Amino acid sequence: MKNAAVVFKKEIKEVIKNKNIWMPILIITAIFSIAMPLVFILGSNSILKDEDTLNFINKIFGQVGDPLRVLIGFILKQLLIFLLILPAMVPSLIAPSSVIMEKENNTLEPLLATPLKTSELLLGKSLTALVPSFVISTINFIILTIVVDVAAYIKLGYAPLPTMEWVIVAFLLSPILSFIITMASVIVSSKSTDIRSAQGIGAVIIVPIYLVIGLQLAGFFLLNITYLLIGCLVLLAVCPLVLRLAVKIFDRENILTKWKMKA
Amino acid sequence: MIKVENLTKKFETITAVENISFDINESEIFGFLGPNGAGKTTTIRMLSTLISQTSGKITIDNRSPESDGEYIRSIIGLLTESPGMYEKISAYDNLDYYSSFYSISNTIRKNNIKKYLKMFDLWDRKDDLAGTYSKGMKQKLALSRALIHEPKILFLDEPTAGLDPESAHMVRNFIESQKKEKTTVFLCTHNLEEASNLSDRVCIIKRKIIRIATLSELQSDDKNKRVEIVFTDDADRYIKLLEEIDEIKNIQSDKNKATLVIEKPEISNPIIIKKLVDSGAQVLYFNEIKATLEEIYLDLIKDEEAK
Ligand SMILES: Nc1ncnc2c1ncn2[C@@H]1O[C@H](COP(=O)(O)OP(=O)(O)OP(=O)(O)O)[C@@H](O)[C@H]1O
Ligand SMILES: [Mg+2]
Repeated sequence: MKNAAVVFKKEIKEVIKNKNIWMPILIITAIFSIAMPLVFILGSNSILKDEDTLNFINKIFGQVGDPLRVLIGFILKQLLIFLLILPAMVPSLIAPSSVIMEKENNTLEPLLATPLKTSELLLGKSLTALVPSFVISTINFIILTIVVDVAAYIKLGYAPLPTMEWVIVAFLLSPILSFIITMASVIVSSKSTDIRSAQGIGAVIIVPIYLVIGLQLAGFFLLNITYLLIGCLVLLAVCPLVLRLAVKIFDRENILTKWKMKA
Repeated sequence: MIKVENLTKKFETITAVENISFDINESEIFGFLGPNGAGKTTTIRMLSTLISQTSGKITIDNRSPESDGEYIRSIIGLLTESPGMYEKISAYDNLDYYSSFYSISNTIRKNNIKKYLKMFDLWDRKDDLAGTYSKGMKQKLALSRALIHEPKILFLDEPTAGLDPESAHMVRNFIESQKKEKTTVFLCTHNLEEASNLSDRVCIIKRKIIRIATLSELQSDDKNKRVEIVFTDDADRYIKLLEEIDEIKNIQSDKNKATLVIEKPEISNPIIIKKLVDSGAQVLYFNEIKATLEEIYLDLIKDEEAK
């Protein structure tokens, strides 16, 4: 445990200094947590001017209440899913570079020759991805909540967030997703030298995000607490599987020899 | 200290090491030599528990890597073939990080970091980022890293590669001094002079073991027994005469000097001298020449390739 803490402490210092990790995070926060909610919520009036949108809203929600309120409620359901981008992205930016850079710089072999256990190394490196991911996602959650509340307050006179759904996504679904992405990154980067392909793992989140957005737009379903909890359960079931695979693959011989060495 | 029995390592398509066996005693310096791709680094990796063998048995300090890997890792120091450092952190912090995984007290650890950084002339630059170090400085830093925890066994994969003559000399002196500390040293090197000066025994390997012996054992191999005859006049004049003597092989002459390989010199030398003197040759000196490790090595490798 002490060894894992030593690994974590050293790695986290390097993460903090690494601009390649911070830039994408800042950009994503700016787009999805600030620009998008502002544009959609503040611009909701002009969206409503469109006949089709009005029909669409009436179709899924029935002719209830104030259409503006309903529309903003719908926008929030779409924004909700964007909360998952950072928890998927941050570990996929951090974990592969922390394994692959060590291989490229030949720092891993001397490390593996010390009494440090591979399980401790794996734990230290995983925490280096998971802790920043959780911290950044939480900060992002707070920013998005404030931006949405301020914008909604301007439009509707009340602050809709946070709701239970948002709390579930931010504090249940996100950490579970981060864990899976971290393990997947470790698995891929133990076997590969190509940092880009390993970093691409976080991008798989795009598919379910598009799917949910598309299905909601098509009126098939709307995210609610039940769906989110089902999602959590499904992902939770995947966790032990990826963990076991990561522990199996993250072994001395595998990391050292199962990749093409540069001349 | 290190016992290897019938060790074999196969990668997917190639056999890197085949059926090698040797025993290394405590405080012995064991020179491990062989051409590129001979399996030296692979052997070191197996002995230092980094990779597993395909077959065969390894015993280190009476323990096996399979069951006591962690113990073995705690008593060995490894200088890898291409040692790397975390470039974005200081040299000192690099050593601090790597050494923190050994169970030695913090005081001893810090003292040793200081001791080795000073020894390798890096103390003044200890706070510089490791990435700013030159190749040789990195090598010295890596050597320090392998030593901080005062290992009982040192695996050195080309320790003097990339070092300037002065640093190389210092590293060699250091390796030699490890005898007093009772450290066992497994030394891979392409520098045969270094190997011959330092090693108690050398092992020449090319996938399989070609030979394990002390230098003097190698030098006393019959085909390595050579003699140099210095004449008062041109040696060429006596070549014909020498060629007639059956025991003499491989005659070379240069000005007034002839070099020859003589089988069973104890018996042949007196006969040769008599023949030469009888034929009126003016012999100035008759010397035994000891083959250098380089000559012996090249010869053994050539024989191996001819097989
Ligand atoms: N991870 C690996 N995967 C596949 N083949 C390997 C691997 N590591 C080494 N080999 C092969 O095993 C053989 C022995 O390599 P090794 O690195 O042990 O040689 P070496 O004696 O250290 O050579 P050098 O003097 O060049 O350092 C070579 O043919 C090499 O290509
Ligand atoms: Mg090698």
